[in-house]
Amino acid sequence: MTALLEAKNLEKIYTIGNVETPALRGASLSVQKGEFTAIAGPSGSGKSTLLHILAGLDKPTRGEVYLEGQRVDGKSVSDLAKMRLSQFGFVFQAYNLIPVLTALENAAFVLELQGVSRLEREAKALEALKILGMADYKDRRPNQLSGGQQQRVAVARALAADPKIILADEPTANLDKNTSLSLIEYMKKLNEDHGVTFLFSTHDPRLLEYVKRIIFVEDGRVVKDELVKAKAVESV
Amino acid sequence: MYKLAWRNIWRKRGRSFFTSLAMALVVMFTMLQSGIMGAVKNALFTTLVNTGGHIQIHPVDYREARDFADTLIRDAAQLSNSLVTALPADTNFVEVLQTGGLLEGSEGRSRGIALIGIKQPEHLRETFLNDYVVEGELPEDKDVESIALGSKLAKSLKINLGDTVYMYTSNTEGYGAAAYTVIGFLDIAGSQAMAYTSLLAVQELAAPDAVSRVEIHLSDFNKISDDAKLPPVKADLIKMLGDAYSVETWGEVNPGLKGYLDIIGPVSLVFLAIFFILAGLVVMNTIYLSIIERVREFGVMMALGLGRSKVMLMVFYESLFLCSVGALLGALIGGLILWQTAKGIKIAAFSTFFEGFPDTLYTSISVERVITIMIFVFVTGVLAALWPARTAGKLEPIEAMRFTA
Repeated sequence: MTALLEAKNLEKIYTIGNVETPALRGASLSVQKGEFTAIAGPSGSGKSTLLHILAGLDKPTRGEVYLEGQRVDGKSVSDLAKMRLSQFGFVFQAYNLIPVLTALENAAFVLELQGVSRLEREAKALEALKILGMADYKDRRPNQLSGGQQQRVAVARALAADPKIILADEPTANLDKNTSLSLIEYMKKLNEDHGVTFLFSTHDPRLLEYVKRIIFVEDGRVVKDELVKAKAVESV
Repeated sequence: MYKLAWRNIWRKRGRSFFTSLAMALVVMFTMLQSGIMGAVKNALFTTLVNTGGHIQIHPVDYREARDFADTLIRDAAQLSNSLVTALPADTNFVEVLQTGGLLEGSEGRSRGIALIGIKQPEHLRETFLNDYVVEGELPEDKDVESIALGSKLAKSLKINLGDTVYMYTSNTEGYGAAAYTVIGFLDIAGSQAMAYTSLLAVQELAAPDAVSRVEIHLSDFNKISDDAKLPPVKADLIKMLGDAYSVETWGEVNPGLKGYLDIIGPVSLVFLAIFFILAGLVVMNTIYLSIIERVREFGVMMALGLGRSKVMLMVFYESLFLCSVGALLGALIGGLILWQTAKGIKIAAFSTFFEGFPDTLYTSISVERVITIMIFVFVTGVLAALWPARTAGKLEPIEAMRFTA
């Protein structure tokens, strides 16, 4: 079966002046549709770099990236932007909502970029907010929401456009313990109830209890890739 | 995208307000400047046309003529009849005979002057009286014994109303002299060396039945913008009159002032451009600052899939919105002021500085000038956004998301 997202022997070397710093040293992985997978590892292990390259936000020095069997790492900047817009959903570490837009408008933002009509995008965005328990806050701006609420709106934004996969880079890094667990449970529920594929990076061991598969990254390499028994969703 | 751009510019309300205000001031001042320039142009045009008509008929080559006789139209009556039949019924004609000579006052002081004999329709005479006669009267058409002097001339010769003055001039027969009673003073361009009397009086003194020129005062040619209608009328007259006469528009009669009028537009455009460059720098600074403050946000939007061209487009929208808000405000205030001053503003300094110039100006701005100002606003908005837009468009999503100001 063709993997939804696949990386082969990714290498990434950052060059600053004459100093070369390798961030990835031949990382390979593949993600199937419907997975709820975490990339785990200590800070500086290369998790974010790997995620950025998989998302088309950065280019590998060497190696290949495939989306549904199509090689994408060589695409132009503009084609990569189009790919991100149409195929991927993103949740970032800092909440990264647009301050001047309401929760509903933020959730509808990707759809707007896709050129979806106002009525349709608002309906889809509202539906996504409902799933994330944020419908009652749809008219609030980010500065009127808590950190956890903002991150749920960010997940709704990623979800609303019905992407093939949602990539999340340390989505709970700025949240407290309870809010982090609540967010991961929402994500898990989306995966179980709606079949949304998630691939996210984290260094929080508590979150790893919820995933079905953990890809361990250390020193720029995938050192372990294992299927685990996931904890059931309780609170949402 | 429009909504986002609009909301973005009001994140820093104070900064955006003052930036828009700068644009508003520029638009308002350029509108007022254009309005006043329009008023000056129309006032000059009105002055020149009222005192010389829209078109003048002279003998051919009159400018090069050395002999007084060669400057004369001998068959004035016949020429006038031809013109009356050829031009619309509401056209007015003024016959003028002008000669030079020596005017001597009662105290024996004298000065070389231009003596102008004029015959004009009653309503033009009324206008002339109202505009230029500051004291006393203007001699009637059949009055051959009275004269009105330029006020400065009268002052320099110490002449009062009722005094007798003597005029010595060359004429078609040799030399002539006449005595006149001063019945009025005029404040008109060249008043330091000019006197007016009836056409008949000057004809008796210098050239019986002749005129120097016939001035044609056309109806519905009240503003300088009507000037474009003159060339066809002139062409028809040349065709009708043939080679014996010189047909000149008011601009050809007054090439210096016409040149001044022609240059007012381009000069004010230069000022307009300077104002807009300054406003553009303010707008550019504001937009650039707002880009730097939002680098992370741009990074996120680009990561989500917003293309570089759309990032740049959003910056252009923001700049254009800022400029448009200012332009609307400026146009509103400027338009209101112009609307009020179009009814007339008294500026005594003008008439003091420019002799014969009306002391009331009527501001006037053309639709074309308003459109030009709005085009300047648009171009300023686009140019001011170029650098910030390029900066935003060159951002790399990952680096931008890590950016801290």
